[in-house]
Order: sequence, then structure tokens, then C-alpha cells
Amino acid sequence: MKLLLLQVSLLLFLLKTTNGEVLFSSLPRSLVVVASAMEGQVLKAGEDSITVSVGLNQTVTNQTDESFKKVKVKLCYAPVSQVDRKWRKTHNDLKTDRTCQYMIYDRPYDGKVEEFKWDIEKDVPTATYFVRSYVYNDADEEIAYGQTTNDKKSDNLFVIQGISGRHMSIDIASACFSAFALLSLVGFFVIEKRQSKIKS
Amino acid sequence: MGEVASNPEKNDRKFALPVDSEHKATEFRLFSVATPHMRAFHLSWISFFACFVSTFAAPPLIPIIRDNLNLTATDIGNAGIAAVSGAVFARVAMGTACDLFGPRLASSSLILLTAPAVFLSAIANSPAAFLMVRFFTGFSLATFVSTQFWMSSMFSPTVVGTANGLSGGWGNLGGGATQLIMPLVFSLIHSSIGSTKFTAWRIAFFIPALFQTLSAYAIFFLGQDMPDGNYVRLEKSGEKHKDNFSQVFYHAITNYRGWILALTYGYCFGVELTIDNIIAQYFYDRFDVNLHTAGIIAASFGLANLFSRPGGGMLSDFVARRFGMRGRLWTLWVVQMVGGLLCLLLGKIGSLSGSVAVMLVFSVFVQAACGLTFGVVPFVSRRSLGVISGMTGGGGNVGAVLTQVIFFRGSRYSTEEGISLMGVMIMCCTLVIMLIYFPQWGGLFCGPRKGVTEEDYYLSEWSAAEKEQGFHKMSMKFSENSRRERGRKGAAAPVQSDPPTIV
Repeated sequence: MKLLLLQVSLLLFLLKTTNGEVLFSSLPRSLVVVASAMEGQVLKAGEDSITVSVGLNQTVTNQTDESFKKVKVKLCYAPVSQVDRKWRKTHNDLKTDRTCQYMIYDRPYDGKVEEFKWDIEKDVPTATYFVRSYVYNDADEEIAYGQTTNDKKSDNLFVIQGISGRHMSIDIASACFSAFALLSLVGFFVIEKRQSKIKS
Repeated sequence: MGEVASNPEKNDRKFALPVDSEHKATEFRLFSVATPHMRAFHLSWISFFACFVSTFAAPPLIPIIRDNLNLTATDIGNAGIAAVSGAVFARVAMGTACDLFGPRLASSSLILLTAPAVFLSAIANSPAAFLMVRFFTGFSLATFVSTQFWMSSMFSPTVVGTANGLSGGWGNLGGGATQLIMPLVFSLIHSSIGSTKFTAWRIAFFIPALFQTLSAYAIFFLGQDMPDGNYVRLEKSGEKHKDNFSQVFYHAITNYRGWILALTYGYCFGVELTIDNIIAQYFYDRFDVNLHTAGIIAASFGLANLFSRPGGGMLSDFVARRFGMRGRLWTLWVVQMVGGLLCLLLGKIGSLSGSVAVMLVFSVFVQAACGLTFGVVPFVSRRSLGVISGMTGGGGNVGAVLTQVIFFRGSRYSTEEGISLMGVMIMCCTLVIMLIYFPQWGGLFCGPRKGVTEEDYYLSEWSAAEKEQGFHKMSMKFSENSRRERGRKGAAAPVQSDPPTIV
């Protein structure tokens, strides 16, 4: 019976991917992902780092990791950071899915429990995140995943605080040029007034 | 012929171009920078271009800015609406300022007043700050009015459509050019100087800000209000009467033609502004092109202004030679209607190449309609030319605000539905052109009233007391020069027979 179920699910899975379209809903949760970022923790982009470890999910019994060739770990937006932001929308079709936009690491799969420390890059924006990992087969298609949060993506989320991008020099230049423009305007009026006095 | 002008030196003054009795140029020479006419042209289009670049500097960098400032789609939409709404009243105010202080001072002042908003965009840190800087930067689009006013002061009725169309069109070009300039400046700063993305976009904003500031300086020191000098000097010597604000304003708002043109301009220029704000996202979302490609498509819409708006202005002047004002009105009506039809079609097309093709043809028609509108505006009023130009220009922005609020906000309509519905609205609002009637020249369906002259129309803006003091002299000259708007057939029609124009 189990074998039949496995064959049917494999067949369905293959059917879904025959046109190159990989659907997230078709992927088994075969991986366990653990991140050092705790629930509600606030990390700083450009300063802090996250340590992630990825391993095979021992509780899912009827699977084999023979077809796992590559593993990628990504930083993904939590639902609260996707609200009213179409450019971060979750789609079932992984080609158009925009949930996970930052790569933590991208390595060939070697069967061991992988642990990796990632320095949060400066262009990561302020938002609430979780970590997800995909494994790929030879054809570079996703075949399984794992993530640090639950299915509803409501658990174990953390916040990253992005950099502002402002520097003291920009602030000063901005203020000075603005003042210069306004003073020039005053200057123009003074010149005009003088012109009208000369002509009379 | 007629009375000799009071100042004999004036008649001896030599201009580089041939001029009429108001010393407005009767020819347009694009590659000349001769004072004062062509120089005014180049100063006005370049400064207006700079303001357009600043106002639409944010849209191409939105993907970076939205992450830096944690913007939602609503924040972005609101900022886009804010960017075009400030100019609604600023344009009317600018019209008044031109009538009272002259286009040179009015435009250079506004440009310098709004330059700080562009400089301060570099330090915006929240959605509210972003909205504020876009709002105040948008005020600079009022330089459109000073541009048109200045051209109408420097160029004779035979070429005013061309001058207005070229200066307006090449200014609008900034809205397209910025979609290419800003990403380029951004990537130069990001890769060459090595700044992070969130710093690079901030530094990038200094470029449009500096360009804008420099253009204000150029206008002030190199420009001149009228062919004979600046308002300040002309008022002192008595050649120009310093007009009364409330009278100028009154004669503008009581002229129904100004209101009609304000409405119709909202549905050619307003539509152009709306498209500037939404078209990149439309192509990105519906056809799955990447942001870079979407930006290029968006830019090509605005870049069509290089020839399409000027083309509209030239077409207006061309049809006026044979058919006069009635020709100008008919051409405007037809071109804007076709524009509406194409807009309706744009939303219905499902293929990428089809959409781009329709969009390009649509851009030509809608921008030509803008040029054609300002072929009519200079004739609506002589005394209140500035306020009428301001009302029409402001109406353009009102159209942009309305269409974005009704069709492109929230998720009531999909973007393609919004575009088609906007096309329907264009066609409905263009119908009112049928109501425009000039007693001395006619309207779409009716010919001119017998015995009515240009002087009757333009001098009605002055009271008997004002005429006694001789304040109306410029309107007299303008009436004479605008007689060509009768077209070839009307050349034999009655001319004002009262003194002092007896030959």
C-alpha cells in the first residue's frame, strides 16, 4: 500500500514538473533547517550574522536523498512583510515565486548536516524573515524543501533591521545645497530690486 | 501705416529674426541661440526638462527605495499622486505670477524654491518623508506654464504653436529621459564608487537637483521676459502697464474656454503623467519582463515627446494657415479622440509586442493632442494669458490625479481594465471641445458671427477707464496679429474700423 502511495505521489509529482513548472505545494518537507536567529530577535544588516544548519528530515521515512544534488539556503519574507507589497508575493509556481529573495548559501549536496555562518549583507531591507532551504536535482529543479517556521509561516520569525544608507556627509551636503538655493533666491530678488531702482 | 509708436528708438532696434509689430518673432530657427527669442526658447525647454527629470527621478529607482524606506504599494501609489497634485495649484499661481512679474523671475524663483525638495530627497527616511519630497518636488512642474507663457510672449501667432509644442515637448522629454538617466547614475555610483545600494540612490538625487539649480541661474542671468526687455524695465519706461491682479484673475476665470481646455488637457497631459507613473509596473506585472526592460519601455513612452508634442504644435500652426482657429479646434478634437481609442485598445491587447506597438502609437497621439491644445490657448485671452495657461496646465495635473485615484489605486480594477476605462474617459471628456466658440473665428460646428472682429474680443477684457489710460495697447497689437486665425477664407472679413488703425 505504501509503495502504491509512493508511486502515485511520484507520478503526480512528475506530471506537475513535465512542463518545467515546479509547484511549491508538490514538494515534500524533507529537510530540517535550524537557524541561530530566535523568535522575535532583531538583527542588524551589515553587522550581525546568522548560523544555519540543514539536514535530512529523519521523520519522513519513505524518501531517499539520492537525487539531491545541490542545496540552496535562502532568506525569505514572512507574511507580515508581504502585505501590500506585490513584489514579494508568494506564488505556488516557483519560477514566479518572490518569497525568498536573498541567497544565504548555494552548495553541492553532500549528505552531511551542513552548518554555515552568513554575515547579513548591507542591502537586506528591514523586514520580518524566516529561513528556507531547497534541494535540487540534476536538472536544477527543486525537489524538496525545509524551513525554520511552520506551514502557516507564523512561528519562529525574526526581524532584520536594514541600514539607512544615510551618511553624515550626505546630510550636510543636502542641507548646504538647499540653503544655497534659497539664499540665491533672496539674492535674485535683491538684484531685481536694484535694477528697478537704477532704471527710475 | 497707423500711428507711429511713441518711442522711435524701438522701431530701429534690430532683431536676429524677423518680427511683427509686437516684436515677436515670426520665424522659428531651432539651431539659433539669438537673443532674445531663441535664447528664451532654449532656456525654457532646458529648465522645464530639468524639472521633469527631478519630479520623475524616483519611479525608476523605486525597487531600491521601497526596500530602503519599507514602502508598501499604497505608499508608492500615494507618493505618485502627490508628485502630480502639487502642481495643480502651483500652475495657476505660476500663471498669475507670469502675468504680474514676468516669466523670467517667476520660473527661476519656483525652480530655486523646489530645488531643496530634490536635495532633501537624499535624506528621506520614511514613507511620510518620501511622500513630502515627491509632493514638493512636483511643484516644479509649474514651470510648464512659464515656458508656454514665455513662448507666447516671444513668438508670433504664426509660429506660436510650434514654439509651444517644442518647448513643452522637449521639457516633457525629461519624464522619459529620467527613466534612463537615474538608473545609469545609480549604477555608476554603486559600481564605481562602491557605495551600497541604499546610499547610491541617495547620492544619485544630487544630479537632478544640481541640474535644476543651474538652470534657474541660467534663466535669471541670460533670459529676458519680452522681446523689448524685462518687465521691471518696461514698466518703468511706461511701455508696459503693470497690471492689476484681481482684474487679470477675473478675466481668466470668467472665460469659459479656459475651463474647457483645462478639462480636455487633463485627458491628454493628465493621461501622459498617469502613464509615466504606471506603465513600467504594467509591463513588468502583465508580461513578466524584467525591471530593466520595463524601464526602457516606460522611457520610450516619454521619449516620443521629442517629436510628437512639437508635431502637434506644428500641425496646429499648419492647419491654421488654411482653416484658422476652426482648423486648430477640429484637429485637436480628432487627434485626442483617436488617442482615447488607442488607450482603450491598449488595455485589451494581450501580447507584449502588440502592447508596445499600440503604446507607441498611443503616445504619439496623446502627446500631439497636448501640443495642439497649446496651439489654441494663446488665443483665449491676451490680458490673462498667464492665468489661462496656468488653469489649462493645472487641469492637466487634475486629470492625472483623478485618473490615478479612480482607476489605478487599490485593487478595484486590474491595471489593464484601468487603462481601457481611462481610454473611454478620454473620449467622453474630449467631446466638450464642441462647446468652444470664438465669436470672431467660429467653433467646431459654427462659423464666425458677422461683423465681430478680433479687437472686439480682446479689448473686451479692458474697461473703458483702462482703455482711456491706454493700458490696452498690447491687446490692440495682438488683435491685429491674430487676424490670421480667420484662415484663408476669412481674410476678406471685416476689420476694426475705429481709429487709430485707419491707413
